[in-house]
Amino acid sequence: MSGRGRRITDEEINELISKLQSMLPESRRRNAGRVSASKLLKETCSYIKSLHREVDGLSDRLAGLMDTMDSNSPQAEIVRGLLRS
Amino acid sequence: MADGKPAEMESGGERKRKRGVEASSSSSSCSSSSAVAKWRTEGEQRNYSSKLIAALRRVRSATPSPAGSRAVREAADRALAVAARGRTRWSRAILLSSKIPSLKRSRVLLRRRATFRPKPVAAGRSSRPPALEKKTRVLGRLVPGCRKLPLPSLLEEVSDYIAALQMQVRAMSAIAQILSATSDTGGAPPPPPM
Repeated sequence: MSGRGRRITDEEINELISKLQSMLPESRRRNAGRVSASKLLKETCSYIKSLHREVDGLSDRLAGLMDTMDSNSPQAEIVRGLLRS
Repeated sequence: MADGKPAEMESGGERKRKRGVEASSSSSSCSSSSAVAKWRTEGEQRNYSSKLIAALRRVRSATPSPAGSRAVREAADRALAVAARGRTRWSRAILLSSKIPSLKRSRVLLRRRATFRPKPVAAGRSSRPPALEKKTRVLGRLVPGCRKLPLPSLLEEVSDYIAALQMQVRAMSAIAQILSATSDTGGAPPPPPM
């Protein structure tokens, strides 16, 4: 990690923060001005939490659907083929 | 005539890569941004999906009783960490935590020790306002293995982690869609419009 030996400038922090900003789904990238770092961190936290919840919900769903994966091997082949295409 | 043909074939894949390039042009560390862009490619998602399905089938054969969603979640996270190829801290943390269950206990012990240790405050480094400190800590707890990271490294991990999670959601949704379609229509899957 390059940041270990030297002091991290606020500029670099801002760069990373704006990069993070572009990843949040709120399309904040249209917002020319910078969102406050505090607000951005908070939104990032809630976004990650919502992603976790989504994955949990999908895991639930998949767990229920897993019977279809081995009970019918032609279907499993279809699934694999679809994923490969 | 050849000129008139729109470059549609290229733009589909290029667009995804372009997004990554745009993000990387503003960042100083190119490697992390291209890694983030990798999570957005179809190839990565397909690779992850097939690995995940293989893992799920292993889970299914290992536990004859109906598999819990927790087992699915863990398999999905493990596959995601493997897909990261050990480049990031969060992925290594996930792999470590799932490899040997006894490791978990020692991790808990380590965590306890860490909280008793007085936090070293480097003079001149702690220029962050206390409100940011608190949010930084919350964020660090959300990302595996990033509890005590300083803010710059944490932000790097977070952006990669978010991109990976987004791909995980996309992949799992697609798989669920396909599986539910095949189970409903009894083997005639509709084309998934993903």
